[in-house]
Amino acid sequence: MFKKPIILLFSLILFSSGVNAPQTMYTVGAGSITFSSDAPLELIKATSNQLKGIFNSEKKEFAFTLNVNTFKGFNSPLQQEHFNENYLESNKYPRASFEGKIIEDVDLKRDGFFRIRAKGNLTVHGVTQERIIKCELTIKNKIVSVKSNFTVLLADHNITIPKVVHEKLASEIKLEVKAELIDK
Amino acid sequence: MIACCAIMQYSYAQDLGSRSFKLIDDNKPFKINTLFKNTEGYIYAGSTNGLYSFDGIRFKKIHFAGANARDTVTAIFEDNTRHLWVGFKSGRLAKKINGRLEYLDIEEGNPAKAITSFVQDKQNNIWFATNGEGLYYFKNGRLNLVNTENGLSDLHVRSLQLGNNGDILVATDQGINICSFIDERVQVQVIGPKNGLPDYYVTAIIAAGNENYWIGMQEKGFCLYNHQSGKITIPPDNANWNYGQINNLLFSQKSLWIATEESGLLKQSVIDGPVTEFKIGNSTQKKIYNLIQDNEGNIWMNTATELISITGNKLKIWPVYSPGIFESIHATLCDHQNNIWISSNAGLIKYSFTNDRFTEKKYSFNDLNEKTDITSLYQDANHNIWIGTMGKGIIILNPETGQSRQLSENPLLQNASILSITGRGNTVCAGGLEGVAMIFIISEKNKSITEKYSFTNYNDIENVGNNYIYNIYNDSKGRIWFGTDGKGITVLENGKLTNYNKHNGLKDDHIYSFAEDGDGNIWFNTEGAGIYQFDGKKFRNFSVGQGISDLKITALKTGPLGNIILVNKKGIDVLHITTGSISYYNNNQGISDVNTDMGSVTQDTAGNIVLSTVNGIVVYTPVDQASYQPKTIIENVQLFLTEVDKLRTGNFSYDQNSFLFNFTGLYYTSPDEVHYQYKLEGLDTGWIQTRDRSVTFLRLQPGTYKFHVRSSLNENFDNADEATYEFVIEKPVWERWWFIMLGIILLAGLIFWYTKKREGRLQKVQELRQEKIQFQFQLLRAQVNPHFLFNSFNTLVSFIEEDPKLAVDYVGQLSVFFRNIVNYRDHELITLGEEIGILKTYFYLQQKRYGHNLELNIAVSEADKKNIFIPPLTLQLLIENAIKHNAVSKETPLTINLFIENNKQLIIKNNINPKITRESGAGMGLQNIVNRYNLLSNEPITVQNDGVDFTVILPVLNQ
Repeated sequence: MFKKPIILLFSLILFSSGVNAPQTMYTVGAGSITFSSDAPLELIKATSNQLKGIFNSEKKEFAFTLNVNTFKGFNSPLQQEHFNENYLESNKYPRASFEGKIIEDVDLKRDGFFRIRAKGNLTVHGVTQERIIKCELTIKNKIVSVKSNFTVLLADHNITIPKVVHEKLASEIKLEVKAELIDK
Repeated sequence: MIACCAIMQYSYAQDLGSRSFKLIDDNKPFKINTLFKNTEGYIYAGSTNGLYSFDGIRFKKIHFAGANARDTVTAIFEDNTRHLWVGFKSGRLAKKINGRLEYLDIEEGNPAKAITSFVQDKQNNIWFATNGEGLYYFKNGRLNLVNTENGLSDLHVRSLQLGNNGDILVATDQGINICSFIDERVQVQVIGPKNGLPDYYVTAIIAAGNENYWIGMQEKGFCLYNHQSGKITIPPDNANWNYGQINNLLFSQKSLWIATEESGLLKQSVIDGPVTEFKIGNSTQKKIYNLIQDNEGNIWMNTATELISITGNKLKIWPVYSPGIFESIHATLCDHQNNIWISSNAGLIKYSFTNDRFTEKKYSFNDLNEKTDITSLYQDANHNIWIGTMGKGIIILNPETGQSRQLSENPLLQNASILSITGRGNTVCAGGLEGVAMIFIISEKNKSITEKYSFTNYNDIENVGNNYIYNIYNDSKGRIWFGTDGKGITVLENGKLTNYNKHNGLKDDHIYSFAEDGDGNIWFNTEGAGIYQFDGKKFRNFSVGQGISDLKITALKTGPLGNIILVNKKGIDVLHITTGSISYYNNNQGISDVNTDMGSVTQDTAGNIVLSTVNGIVVYTPVDQASYQPKTIIENVQLFLTEVDKLRTGNFSYDQNSFLFNFTGLYYTSPDEVHYQYKLEGLDTGWIQTRDRSVTFLRLQPGTYKFHVRSSLNENFDNADEATYEFVIEKPVWERWWFIMLGIILLAGLIFWYTKKREGRLQKVQELRQEKIQFQFQLLRAQVNPHFLFNSFNTLVSFIEEDPKLAVDYVGQLSVFFRNIVNYRDHELITLGEEIGILKTYFYLQQKRYGHNLELNIAVSEADKKNIFIPPLTLQLLIENAIKHNAVSKETPLTINLFIENNKQLIIKNNINPKITRESGAGMGLQNIVNRYNLLSNEPITVQNDGVDFTVILPVLNQ
């Protein structure tokens, strides 16, 4: 369902940059997303190392995607099952994605450390929200290191929690993204 | 007949009362970037040194909470919960919380470009614009960005405006952008040159009512945009706009005010009318940034270095008088074409105004000589001008033709002195000396001044007075009012005359002039007692106590907004008849030396007040819907010098009891004139007057309080604006009813419990003691028996061998003795007699052993034997001891004496014959007695051993 537009976008970014300035294209070499739900009764933390993505430092455009069912490290296998089947419905909505453009007018073709904001569409659980997300970029030797912390409100993405687990699941999920993008 | 000449002059109408303020802090000037007025009417200035509030006198810095942050303020805004937002050049945002600025911590990060404008939409979302990143809005706690990806035509946003329909109108470098939510997403529609906008570069958008918006542009002037139809209307004057960039727009005082980058302040008074430059005092500043209006209708703007206020259209001055003219003026008239006529040296001067210039035309009259004073001017329904003179009666002038004649209809007028000429519709009323009290009826025919006038003279009527009539006034109901010199007022109504004077409560019977308000009340001013309002029944006086600034009132007029306007030498008092409060325009606005002749105040066709001052003709135009009295604001409430949120309605604990209130009566027109009254309900009984702007209350007792403060421009606080702050200082816990109740219950419980416990304890102590006694008795008794038996058997053994008969007798006595012991065993006490019985038995047993070497003398009365009690076997034990411890032999007989001394002491005394070998168990028997007595008596047992006698003194027990 969402695979197509993302692939389309990927190819668009790849294609357009490929013509103009290939050296400005980066893809995720290693990337992880950790989410944590800090509810009164339970802390749930899980990580996926399957982050995929692409970044054009010339146009300052990017697209990241992730298979939702690759999150690991739940407190119990049952929890993982609930996460995938009941909340994120990863069968129905297998991917989460964030694609957009960097707001700041900075030259990202040079090495350096940048505090930037990315504006884009965040799709989780099949619901797309336009979001601004703060990131820290370190560009060095054609490696772009990305670090970002942000939150996702379950309600923003139509993820409903049964009343009985309210105390066990936070309504605001914290996410931490770390990725190294390498020159393609 | 008339000589006249016209001179063309150029002159700008000048503003009156402009003031300017430099933002100087710590001796350093700072640049003002933005101005803002909050809901209360407080002016804020955003500067390169942060945020300042401005109370009309000084700037006060609003500091950051905590860290010593510094930031350049570029935008200020108040949301509909009255919280102040500040946007900075750095792109950061802050809110004012408890009097301090606090940066917002935005999860999405801060913009990196300067914040330029704020707006709150109809869903209460806050929007703000940046210069380079587009615009942002907060929705459901999230910050969202609208930029070119959403269709915004340019990222540089100058200004935001909320549309009537909820859309956000955005001024960008590339046209107007209209933002609206469609399916929860922001859609942008661009209005640019293609849509008829003269310029793509939009700098300002302000609401003009009815879905219309004024649009200010970079180089093509301004236009009107209708958001409903999309129609853009360009004023005709814009075609050759050469004033440069518009920075800001303000619609105020029925005019559009235009702040420009290079042409100063401009004004358009009539839609599609000409745009004129508005000269601000002596200012040469050409770069005006912002425009706002205060609550009193004054217009505020800022240049790079100054904050400037102008009265705008409210007060203006035409400096038309040539030298010497002002001093010669005794009467003025504004005619039906708004030309202003003044009397001068037996002639008239007419000033005609067109835009920025005026012409001056002089009229002189052959009938008048140099010494004739002109006292009054009036224009009748036919537009002819009536000229009242001292000594020459009335002259009629046709201003069109210049033709004039002296009125001779009444011979009285020939050399009459006229004090006033007034009129209404087809009447003209003239009052004066020598009995002139005439009312003329004007007809169409009188257009020609040669036609005769019909008239009535009221000079012979009683109470109207036949000498001095200062003023005759024909009111809207057809009544004719006569103001006399010393006889009060007389009214002619339905052919009937009624006089009101001192007997009707008037404090002064010298009546100068009349006016009528919208409710038909008649107002008149007196020589020295202020003015009166007469509603047909009662007179209401307004004097210094009500706030009239000067009792020497030149003229009384009804202003165009229905207020009563008083003119005096210092300026204008404006009496607001609905509230009775009075405001002033005087030297604070640059008015000085007002002409004090009765006929020198006139009104233009719009009813605005025209008066003559030494600096020229002053026109006062009241501003609609403007506040005319100070707005009272409690600026902050401090608890022990820490600011508390003034929106907070909460209780304070008993030790939070020292309050400081800072307040302001905001009145930008004359901030120095504000007086205050305050009271603390719950503490003070009455109002306390002050000119301070703060008051402290220390150590308030617990209770409910309401702090009231009100401000006024004079001593009259009857209708003053009032601000209040209610608070409760709670009683300390121990003074609250529930605590006291709880305390009482607890105390009662405690007492009950204690009593119970004590009873129980006492009982227990008793029981314990009893038990102990029992126990010890048992123990003691147990000790007695073997001891005695041991000795007895020893004696018996010796008898059995020596004297068996005696032995039988001895065993018999021994058995009596033991029976006694058994009998008395369970008794705690027995009588002394009983004890002596036991003792005698025992003594018999012992004497059998020792013979006459042992002697016992008992000296106790029969009464004592019955009345004195003693623990059983006590004496027996003591005697047993005496025998045991002493050698009893022929050489050393033992004598034991038993007697009572002082009825208190039972004494057992024996001589001492120490044994060579000490008997085992020594001291045990005596110790037993001592223990037993300790439990039974408070008196101790005394044991004395003086080497000769051994004495035991027992306290006597009387049961």
